[in-house]
Amino acid sequence: MIEINDLTKYYGKGESRFKALDGVSVRINDGEFIVILGASGSGKSTFLNVISGLETSDGGCVAYDSQELGNMSEKELTKFRRENTAYIFQQYYLLPHLNVEKNVRMGADLDNNKDYLKYIKAVGLSDKRKKFPSELSGGEQQRVAIARALAKNPKVLFLDEPTGALDEETGRQVLNYIIRLHEEQGFTMIMVTHNSNIAETADRIIKMNSGKIVSVTENTDKKTAYEIGW
Amino acid sequence: MIVSIKDSVKLFGISIMTCCAVTVCNMFLNYYLDLSAIAGLIDNPYAQMFYDAQIMTSKVVCAVSGGCLAITTVVMLFFYIKHYIDSHSKEIGILKALGYSDFKIAKGFSVFGLSVFLGCFVGYLLSFALMPQFYELQNKDGYLPELSIGYHWILFVLLVIAPTLVFALIAVCNSLLKLRQPCVNLLKGIVKVKGKTKNTKDKKTFVAEMRSSVLRSRKTLVFFIAFSSFCFSAMIQMSASMKDLSSEMMGLMMLIIGVVLAFTTLYIAVTTVIRSNQENIAMMRVFGYDSADCKRSVLDGYRPAAYIGFIIGSVYQYALLRIMVDIVFSGVEGIPEYEFDFLMFFITLAVFIVVYEGIMFAYGQSMKKIPLKQIMSE
Repeated sequence: MIEINDLTKYYGKGESRFKALDGVSVRINDGEFIVILGASGSGKSTFLNVISGLETSDGGCVAYDSQELGNMSEKELTKFRRENTAYIFQQYYLLPHLNVEKNVRMGADLDNNKDYLKYIKAVGLSDKRKKFPSELSGGEQQRVAIARALAKNPKVLFLDEPTGALDEETGRQVLNYIIRLHEEQGFTMIMVTHNSNIAETADRIIKMNSGKIVSVTENTDKKTAYEIGW
Repeated sequence: MIVSIKDSVKLFGISIMTCCAVTVCNMFLNYYLDLSAIAGLIDNPYAQMFYDAQIMTSKVVCAVSGGCLAITTVVMLFFYIKHYIDSHSKEIGILKALGYSDFKIAKGFSVFGLSVFLGCFVGYLLSFALMPQFYELQNKDGYLPELSIGYHWILFVLLVIAPTLVFALIAVCNSLLKLRQPCVNLLKGIVKVKGKTKNTKDKKTFVAEMRSSVLRSRKTLVFFIAFSSFCFSAMIQMSASMKDLSSEMMGLMMLIIGVVLAFTTLYIAVTTVIRSNQENIAMMRVFGYDSADCKRSVLDGYRPAAYIGFIIGSVYQYALLRIMVDIVFSGVEGIPEYEFDFLMFFITLAVFIVVYEGIMFAYGQSMKKIPLKQIMSE
C-alpha cells in the first residue's frame, strides 16, 4: 500500500516561486490501477515524480508499506527503485545502440530474471527481438519499453502519458497490452494522462488541478482499451 | 549560421593540441633555419658532427611531434564535427527541411578553423618567448658559432595561416559528408545502428552489453583515451631521460606538454562519453542501477585502451630516444649511455594508475548528479 500525506512541492525562487503540489493526500492499494488525470500544469507529473522517488517533496510524506521515501538516502532510494518500481515514459527512452532483447535485459537483470523472453513474446515482438529501436515503429518501441519495465517484476509500475506520442490505433494496442499484463501479474499501476477517455480503463481516477486533488472517483464501469473513445 | 564563433571556442582541445604542436615545431624549425644559415661558418669536423646532429634532431622532433599532433588534431576535429552534428541534429534537420543545401550548412563549420588559428597563434608567440633560453641551451658547450634568433615569416605562414585554412577546409568537407543523411533522421534524432542478426539468446549481462555498445558507438573516444595515456606515459618518462640527455628545460617542457595533452584529451573524451550517454545513465538510475553500475557500463570499457596506450607510450619513448642516441647523436662526445629506465617506468605507471582510476571514480560519482526529473519532464 502507498500512503501519501499532505504532499507539497515548490518550484522556482523568489517571486517566481510557485506551489506545484499543494497538500496532496491519497492512499493507493496494492494491485490497483490508478489514473491521474489533469490538464497541462495541473501537477500530475510532479506528483508521479515525487511518489516514485525521482524527486523529493518539500513537505508531507510518501510511504510504501511503512517505508518512508523521505527518510531514505540516495543509496537506499536506488535500492528501493531496483526492488520495487518500474517506469514507462511517453518518449520510450530505449537505449538506441542495444537491440530489443538487450533493452529488455536492462530490466530483467535487476531481478535476475532469466525468463525475460516471455515479456518480449507477451508484447508481440518475438520476431523483432534482434531489431534496434531505430528499426521499430513508435508503437513497437513503446511495447519494448513495456517489456523492459515488466521484466524486472515491479511491485509498482509508473506510466507517464504512455500513449501520448502514439496514434489512436497504436495507442489502443499499447494500452491493451498494459492493461492485460496488469491483470495477469497484479502489480500496482499508476498512470498519468490528460486523456479522460483512458481514465475509463482504471480502477480509480484521481483528478488534479493547480497542484491539488480535486476528486477521487471509483470507476465501477471499467472499460477495455477498445471500448473507450480516443 | 548554425555554427557560431562561440561553438568554435568550445573546441579548446584542438586549440591546446595545436598550441603544443606549433610551440615545439616553431622553436625547432626556427632553430633549424638559423642553424642552416651558419653552415658555411663551421670550420672543424667535430663542430660539423655536432651541427649535423642538431639539424637531424630538429627534423626528427618536428616530424614526430608535429606529425603526431597534427594527425590527432584531425581526428579530434572529425570527432567534434560528428558530435556537433549529433547534438544539433534537430536544428540542422529543420534547416535542411527549410531548403538549406548541405553545402550552405557545411560552410558554417569553417568557423572551427578559428580554434586552430587561436592555438597556432598562441603557440607561435609562446615559442618566441621560450626561444632565447632554448638557443642558449642548444649551444651551451659552444661547439657552434654564436647564433642569433632570426624571424622567418614563412614559418608564420606554414605554422599559423596554412593550418587554419587547411583545417577550415577539412571541417567543411567532413561536415559535408556527415550531413548526407535523410532530413527526417536528423529531425527525429534517429540513430542508425548496424548489428548482428544471429537469432540466439544473448549471454552477456546488460551492463556488459551496455559497456560494449558504448565503445562501439564512439570508437574515436577509444583513440583519445589511448592517446591520453600514451602522452602521459611517453612524455613523463621521456622528460626524465631528457634531463640527462639534453637539458632540464627540455625535460620540463616535455613534462608540461605531456601532462597538458593527457589531461585535456582525457577530459574531452570522458565528458563527451558521459554527456552523450546522459539519458541512458538517467534511465539506468531510474530503473535502480547504482552509480557503480553506471560507471561500469559507460566508463570501464575504456580501461584496456588506457593501459594499452600507456604501454605503447613507454615503448615509443624508448624507441625514439634509442634512435636519437644511437643514430642522431652517434659519435657526439658527452652523450651519456641510455637504457630503458625501469624505475621511472614503474613510478609513472603507479602515478598513472592512481590518477586514471581516481579520475574515473570521480566521474563515476558525478553520474549521481544527473537529474532524474529531467528525463521525465523532457
